[in-house]
Amino acid sequence: IGGLFRNVVGGKKLTREDLNKSLKGMEEHLLKKNVAREAAVRLCDSVEQDLIGMKTGSFTSVEATIRGAMERALRQILTPTSPLDLLREIQAVQGKRPYVISIVGVNGVGKSTNLSKICYFLLQNKYRVLIAAGDTFRSGAVEQLRVHTRNLRELTARQNAGEVDLYERGYGKDAATIARDAVTYAAQQGFDVVLIDTAGRRHNDQRLMSSLEKFAKMAQPDKILMVGEALVGSDAVQQARNFDAAFGAGRRLDGFIVSKCDTVGDMVGTLVSMVHATGIPVLFLGTGQHYSDLRTLRVESVVELLMRT
Amino acid sequence: MVLQDLGRRINAAVSDLTRSPNLDEKAFDGMVKEICSALIEADVNVKLVAGLRKSIRNTVSFKDLAPGVNKKRLIQKTVFDELVKLVDPHAEPFKPKKGKSNVIMFVGLQGAGKTTTCTKLARWYAARGFKACLVCADTFRAGAFDQLKQNATKAKIPYFGSLTQTDPVAVAREGVEKFKKERFEIIIVDTSGRHRQEQDLFDEMVQIQQAVRPDQTIMVMDGSIGQAAEQQSRAFKEAADFGAIIITKTDGAAAGGGAISAVAATHTPIVFIGTGEHMLDLERFAPQPFVSKLLGMGDMAGLVEH
Ligand SMILES: Nc1nc2c(ncn2[C@@H]2O[C@H](COP(=O)(O)OP(=O)(O)OP(=O)(O)O)[C@@H](O)[C@H]2O)c(=O)[nH]1
Ligand SMILES: Nc1nc2c(ncn2[C@@H]2O[C@H](COP(=O)(O)OP(=O)(O)OP(=O)(O)O)[C@@H](O)[C@H]2O)c(=O)[nH]1
Ligand SMILES: [Mg+2]
Ligand SMILES: [Mg+2]
Repeated sequence: IGGLFRNVVGGKKLTREDLNKSLKGMEEHLLKKNVAREAAVRLCDSVEQDLIGMKTGSFTSVEATIRGAMERALRQILTPTSPLDLLREIQAVQGKRPYVISIVGVNGVGKSTNLSKICYFLLQNKYRVLIAAGDTFRSGAVEQLRVHTRNLRELTARQNAGEVDLYERGYGKDAATIARDAVTYAAQQGFDVVLIDTAGRRHNDQRLMSSLEKFAKMAQPDKILMVGEALVGSDAVQQARNFDAAFGAGRRLDGFIVSKCDTVGDMVGTLVSMVHATGIPVLFLGTGQHYSDLRTLRVESVVELLMRT
Repeated sequence: MVLQDLGRRINAAVSDLTRSPNLDEKAFDGMVKEICSALIEADVNVKLVAGLRKSIRNTVSFKDLAPGVNKKRLIQKTVFDELVKLVDPHAEPFKPKKGKSNVIMFVGLQGAGKTTTCTKLARWYAARGFKACLVCADTFRAGAFDQLKQNATKAKIPYFGSLTQTDPVAVAREGVEKFKKERFEIIIVDTSGRHRQEQDLFDEMVQIQQAVRPDQTIMVMDGSIGQAAEQQSRAFKEAADFGAIIITKTDGAAAGGGAISAVAATHTPIVFIGTGEHMLDLERFAPQPFVSKLLGMGDMAGLVEH
C-alpha cells in the first residue's frame, strides 16, 4: 500500500494532501481484493473523514495510521448490529409451528448446495427438517435435492441426528404455491424447519424478480437468505440491492450467505460489497462443496484477509 | 447487457475530450482517468487497467505531440486499439470438421454454466448439420446427470452418462469411445466444476483430458466474475490448456470485464456467449465487431481495418 509517507513519523497533523496519495493506494488495494469500486470509495472517504486534522501517534507513519483506520472501518461495516442466532429463533417456535427459511439468489451461485449445508447443520442439532423443492424450472433441480436428501439421511442415520424429508411437486408448477403447501404439510407433520429452495434468477429480470413478492406473501418465511458468490465482481452490489428490494414494502432480506469463499483466496471483497449495498449482515460463508463447509462469519479473519498485502 | 455501459462511458469520455475546444494535457488526463474508472467498475483486472493507462499515456505522449498531428484521431485510435487488445488474442479457435469425430471438453469453475452451455453448443452444431452428442463426466455434483439428461432430451441430442459409476475418467472414456464408434462428429464432454485451490480436482481434470484427448477444451466463465478471474483462468490454462472461452450469463447486468481479463491473461479467444437459460440462448462471438459495437463506432469505424 502506497509507501510514500512511510517516513513521516509521529505527531503530524494530517491534511487532505497528506492522506490523498496513501488513500489512493488503499483504494487500489481494496479493488484488487474484489471490493466493488463504489464500496472502496466509500470506505476510503470515511477513513479520510476520520483522519483529517488528527495527529499521528508518535512513531506512527501516515500509512500505518490509515491502515488502522481502514481496519476499523471494515470491522464496523461487517459487524452486524443485531446478531442473529438461528438456533435460538427456531427453538422459540418449536412445537408451535415450523420455522421457515427460504434461499434466493442469481443463477449458479450455490443456493441448493448451501441449503443442504444448512440442513446438515440443523440435523446435527437434532431438528426435523423438510426441504421444499421450489426450483421448478432448472433441469435436474429436483433430482439434485433428492440426492442431497438421501445423502443427508444416510449421514444423520449414522450420527443419530435429526430427520429430513423432501417436499417436491416436479417441474413447471408455481413455486410460491409449492412453498405454501410445503409449509402447511410441515405444520401437519410436525417438522421443526422448512428450507425452501428457489430457482436462480437474474436480478435484472423484472418478471422473475417480481414473482418473489408473491412468493414471500404465500410462504411467509421467517428468514429470507440470499446467496451471493465470492467470485462475483462489482455486480454483487446490484444483486444485493435488487434482491433486498424484491419482496415488497416492509419485507427485506434477513441475511447473506457468501458462497465459494474457498475459490478466491484473500479476495473476499464481495462480502464488503454486499453489506455496503444493503446493511444486511452476512450469516454464513460457504467454504467448499461438502456438507460441513459452512461457517459463520468471523469479522476479524475477514478483515485480516482484506488487509493482507 | 455485458459491456454496454462500459462502452457508453468510454465512448463518452473519448468524444467529450475530442470535441472540447481546448484539448490540453489536463483534459487528456481526465479522459484517461474516466476510462480507467469505467474499466475498474466493469471488473477489468486492476493490473490490466494500470497497464492500459500507461500504454495510452505512452502512445499518445501528450507533451511530445508535434503540432501537425491529428490528436483526436490518435487518441481515438489508441483507445480502440487497447480495448481490442484486451479481447482479441489473435488466436484462431479450433474449427470442427465434418466427417470426423471432434471431441470438445468443457471445464470451469463451479456453477459457471458448463452443463447448460454444453447442450446449447451441441444443439448449435446439430442445427448446422453435425451429428452431435453429449457425455456427462460430472459424477460429483448431485443431480448432474439428470440435469444433462433432461436438457439433452429436450434438445433431442443423444447422451451418455452413469448413475452408478463414480469415476469421471472412466465414464468420460467409455462415453467418448462409444460415440466415436457410432461416428458422431461433435462429442461434447461435460465435467464437474472445480477451482485452482483444490489440486485433486485439477488432477482429475487432467486425467479426464488424457482419457478423451479432446480436439478442443473450452473454459466456461460466468460473465459476472470479478478480480479472481485472472488467477483462476491462468491456473486452468496451465493445467488444461483450453483453447477457447465461452462467457455465460451475459443477459445479466454485470459488465463482463472480469471474463474479458481472462482473455487477456490467457491469450485465448471467446468463441460464444450465453445469453439466457434457454436452449437457443447462445451467440457467436468475434472480438473486433464486438469492440466496434461496444464503442458505438460511428466516426471510429474507419479505424477498424488497420
Ligand atoms: N468451491 C465451492 N463450490 C460451491 C460452494 N457452494 C456451492 N458450490 C458449487 O457451486 C455449484 C452450483 O451450486 P448449486 O447449489 O447448484 O447452485 P444454485 O445457486 O442452486 O444453482 P441454480 O439453482 O442453477 O441457480 C455446484 O457445483 C456446487 O458444488 C462453495 O462454498 N465452494
Ligand atoms: N441467465 C442465464 N443463466 C444461465 C446462463 N447459462 C447458464 N445459466 C444458469 O446458471 C446456472 C448454473 O448453470 P450450470 O450449467 O448448472 O453450471 P455448471 O457450470 O454446469 O455448474 P457445476 O456443474 O455445478 O459446476 C443454472 O441456473 C443455469 O440455468 C446464461 O447464459 N444466462
Ligand atoms: Mg439450485
Ligand atoms: Mg454442471
